[in-house]
Amino acid sequence: MPDLRDAEGEFARVLTRLHRRTKFAEVLAERSDGRTLRYETRSIAYSSNPHLTGAVFRAWGGTRWVEAATSAFDATSIEEATGSLERALEKSAGSSDPPGPSATTRKEWATEPAQPMRDMGPEQLTTLAKDVLGWATDLKEVRQGQVVIAWEEEDRFYLNTAGARCFRRLHRVRASVAPIAFENGRVELDVLSEGGLGGQERLRFLTQDRVRQTARNAVELLRAKAPPVGEMTVLLDPSTTGTFAHESFGHGTEADQFLRDRSYLKPLLGQEVGPKFLTIVDDGAYPGGWGTIFCDDEGRAAGRTVLVDRGRFVGALHDRDTAAAFHVPPTGNTRRADFLSRAFVRMTNTFVEPQDWTYDELVKEAKNGVVLERATSGIEDPLGGQMQLKVKKGHRIERGQVTDLVSSMALSGNVLDFLKAIRGIGVKDDFEIDTGYCGKGQTDLLPSGTGGGYLLSRAVVGPA
Amino acid sequence: MSETADTAFRVADLLRTEPPWDVFAERARRFEVHLNGKALEMTRGPITVEGFGVRVFRSRGDQTGVGFQASTDLSEDGIRAAATQADAITAFSNFPTRRVDLPTGAAPGPAAVEIRDPHLWARPMESLLEHAIALFGAFDGMNDVTPSFGSIRATLTETSIANSAGLRTSFAHTTVEFEVAVKAFGGPEGPPPGEYWVNDASRRLEPKSLPAQVQEWCRFARDVRRAKPTPTGDLPVILPASTLDGILPVVLGSRFTGGARLREIAPKSGDPLAAAPVTVYDDGRFPWAVGSAPVDDEGSPQRRRTLLSGGVASELLYDALHAGAFETSTTGNAVRNDRLFRDWRRFVHAPIGTATTIVVEPGSGGTDPELVEAAGDGVWVQQLGWAIPDSISTAFGGELRIGYRIRHGKLAEPIRGGTVGGVVLAPPGARSMLHDIDAIGSKGTLSESICAPSLLIRPLTVAGA
Repeated sequence: MPDLRDAEGEFARVLTRLHRRTKFAEVLAERSDGRTLRYETRSIAYSSNPHLTGAVFRAWGGTRWVEAATSAFDATSIEEATGSLERALEKSAGSSDPPGPSATTRKEWATEPAQPMRDMGPEQLTTLAKDVLGWATDLKEVRQGQVVIAWEEEDRFYLNTAGARCFRRLHRVRASVAPIAFENGRVELDVLSEGGLGGQERLRFLTQDRVRQTARNAVELLRAKAPPVGEMTVLLDPSTTGTFAHESFGHGTEADQFLRDRSYLKPLLGQEVGPKFLTIVDDGAYPGGWGTIFCDDEGRAAGRTVLVDRGRFVGALHDRDTAAAFHVPPTGNTRRADFLSRAFVRMTNTFVEPQDWTYDELVKEAKNGVVLERATSGIEDPLGGQMQLKVKKGHRIERGQVTDLVSSMALSGNVLDFLKAIRGIGVKDDFEIDTGYCGKGQTDLLPSGTGGGYLLSRAVVGPA
Repeated sequence: MSETADTAFRVADLLRTEPPWDVFAERARRFEVHLNGKALEMTRGPITVEGFGVRVFRSRGDQTGVGFQASTDLSEDGIRAAATQADAITAFSNFPTRRVDLPTGAAPGPAAVEIRDPHLWARPMESLLEHAIALFGAFDGMNDVTPSFGSIRATLTETSIANSAGLRTSFAHTTVEFEVAVKAFGGPEGPPPGEYWVNDASRRLEPKSLPAQVQEWCRFARDVRRAKPTPTGDLPVILPASTLDGILPVVLGSRFTGGARLREIAPKSGDPLAAAPVTVYDDGRFPWAVGSAPVDDEGSPQRRRTLLSGGVASELLYDALHAGAFETSTTGNAVRNDRLFRDWRRFVHAPIGTATTIVVEPGSGGTDPELVEAAGDGVWVQQLGWAIPDSISTAFGGELRIGYRIRHGKLAEPIRGGTVGGVVLAPPGARSMLHDIDAIGSKGTLSESICAPSLLIRPLTVAGA
C-alpha cells in the first residue's frame, strides 16, 4: 500500500497557498486496504477492499468552515479541490478567528501486530474458515452456516497550518460465525463474533469449543420460549451494557447536540444521574479497542474522557467548535466516516467500567426478571432520553436462578430512570469491548467500540 | 457534465481479461446542506467520485469462481490492476453454478423510468438551498416547534454498465436523503421537549409538499410531549407505510431470493405465508422510488414480480449468479447497495439479489379512519425506534417512539415507550404478522423502499410500561 506521507510536500504546498486566504486550513488524507472472506455452506466469496484514496481540505471562511475533497492525488485533481476552496474562501464574509484551539500535535501512531493479517493469505484464511464452518454445522439441525473473516489496514494523515502533523495506521480485524438451525419450518441462528485492533491473534477466539457451543445455542433457540412482557428487572450481558453505554447514554454526550439544544443530558451536567458505583468512559486510545483512533480528524490526540464519574455526569465529547462554545478543551472526538464525509463529534470506545458483582450475585439480587444476551442493535433518542436495545436471546430469572431460554427481545425505557435503577455492575472478568458501526443519525457509519460487564437495572421488555 | 457517462464503456475498452466479465461504473456528484436549527450550518459540494467495479467469472466444472474489484483509478494501469486483482480472486471464490448468463442488451431498450429530478440535476446546490429555505419557512409562525438537527444530501449519478456479452447501457438518476429532527418545546413548567425524527430517501425534492408534511411532523413532536404510557397485551395494531418500510422490505428482500434458496430458507411456491387477501410485488420500475431504474445493477431490465399472491408464495428474485445456480433466468434484481445504510458510492459493492421496491396491493379496508374503526380497541404505530427484523428468524420489533391509542374505533391519546413486535413469517398454524393481517387499507403510500396501504394486524404483542 503506497504511503500517504509521500504526498506531504504536495499537501503542504496546498496549505501554504490556502493560508494566504484563511487564518486556518487543514488536510486529512485517507487510504485503506483489506480483505474479506465470506465462507458459507454453498458458496465462498473472497474479496479485496475497494482501491479508494483521497483527501479532504477544510478551511475557516471567517464565519464557517468550507471544504473540498478529492479522490485522486494527481496535480489536476488537487488543483481542482484547491481552486474550489479558494473560490469559496473568496466568497466568504467575516474575519473572525476559527473556533477553539488549533491542534499542534506532531506524532505518528501505528498498531504493529506481531502477525499481521496481511501475512495470512487466502489459502490460510480459507482453511481456517472451512474448519470453523465444519464445527458450526456438525449438528443435524444445523444445515447451513456462515463464517466471515475481515481485516483492514487504514491510514490517515493529517496536516494543518498551525503545525500539526499526525499519521496513524490502524489494523482492524473482525470475524464471526453464524450457524443456522432448522426444525419444522422454524429457522434460527446464533452468532459468535469478536474483533478489534491487532493481527492474527484476534482470531484465536474461534475455538472448536466456542463454535460448537454457538451451534448448540442456535438449535436451542428453535425451542426458546416467548420472552416475558412488561416492566421488570433486567440483567444486561456485557454486549448489551456496551450498547446501552453507546446508544442510550453516549449519543446524548456528543456536544454538538448540546449546541443544538438536542440533548436531554445538557441540563444535567454536574449532576448525579446514577449510583456511586457507575462510571462511564469514552476512550479513543483504549488498547486494542475496535473504536480506537489514537488521533482524531482535527489532529488532536484521542484519549480517555470520563462521562459519568461515580454516578455524576461530568463530561461531554467535544470538537473544536463545541469546545469553544462551552469553554472547555476539545476531547479528541472529531471523526469523519471517510474523506468524503463531514466531520462530527463522535464516540470511540464507550463503556461502563466494571465493578465488583459476580454474575451469580447479580442473578441472586435480581430475584425475578430476565437476562438480555447478545445485543444486536440499539438506537439513540438524544433529545427524548428514551432507550431501545435489541438482543438475540435471553434467559428468565426466577427466584434468583437462571431458568428458561427466551427468544429475541427489545428493551425500552427512560435512560435516566434506568440509570437510577441500577443495582449492580459486574466484575472485570466479564468485561469486553465489542465491535460495531455507528451512524450520526442514519448516515456516516464508522467503527465504534462498546463495552461493559453485566449490569442490573429495571426496564420494559417485549418481543422483537 | 453530460447526463449519461460512458465510464464503464471506457473501462471495458481497456480491459484485457477473458470473458465473461462485467463492469459497473458511476460518476457521482454529491451536494449536502447541514442544518442547525433554522440556520445553515454547512454546505458541501460538489464532492465528486468516479469509479468502477469489475467482476470476472471463471468456470471450474460445476462451480464458478467470482472475482470483484472496485477502484477509482481510471488510468489504463489502474483499470488493468483492478481486473488482474479480480481475476486473481476467482481462485479463492466458489459459487455453485456452471453458467453465468449476463444480459446482452439485445432486447429493445427499456422505457424510461422516473428517477431523475430535472430541477435538482440542473441546479443542485441552489435546489437544496431552496428546499432548506422552504423547510424553514414551513415553521414560520410556530413558537413551540423548530427543526433542531438535519441534513439534505443529494447525489447526481451517471451509471454505466458494460459486459463481455455486448451490453452497453447507461442512465442518469438523482437520490435525495432527507433527515430532520423536529423539536417541540416551551413553557417553563411544561413537560420536557419532544422530538419527531424524520429519515427518508427519495428520487426528488418536493418543496411544495413540505408545508403539509411539516404540519404533520410538528403534530407528532407536540404529541410526544403529552404522550401517555403504552398499554400491554396482544392488541390490534395498525402499521402505516412509514413503519412497514422498516419491516417488510428487509424480510421479503432477503427471504424471497435466490440467495435464500441457496441457504434453504426461501419459501416454496405455493406456501401459504399470509392472510388470504395479501398480494405483494417487487417493482423495480416504481415511479420515483429509490430502488427503481430502467435496468438492474447487472444491466437486466427491471419489471414487476409477484412475491405473494392471495397470501401464497409465488416468485423468487434472482440476480445472474443465483439464476445460474438454479437454472432459471435473472429477474433483474441485482442490487449494489445496502438497504439499511445506503452508500452513494454503489460501484464499490458487488451485486446481490434482493428486492427493489416492495408494493403491497391495496385492499378493501378503506381509509385510515375506517381501519381505525375496524380495530376498535388497539394501537396505531406511527414510529418505531429501530424495528429492523432478523432476516433469518424474521423477528422484528422496537420501541414505540410515537403512536396513538385506539379506543372505541377512534384515535385517542398519543402514547410512547414500550415495545411492539412479533415475527413476519412463520409456518402455517403459527402466529405471524403476515398471517394475522386482518384488513388492508385501500390506498398505498410510497415510503422509501415500500409502497403500501396501512395494515391492521390482529394481534401484535405490545409491551407497555
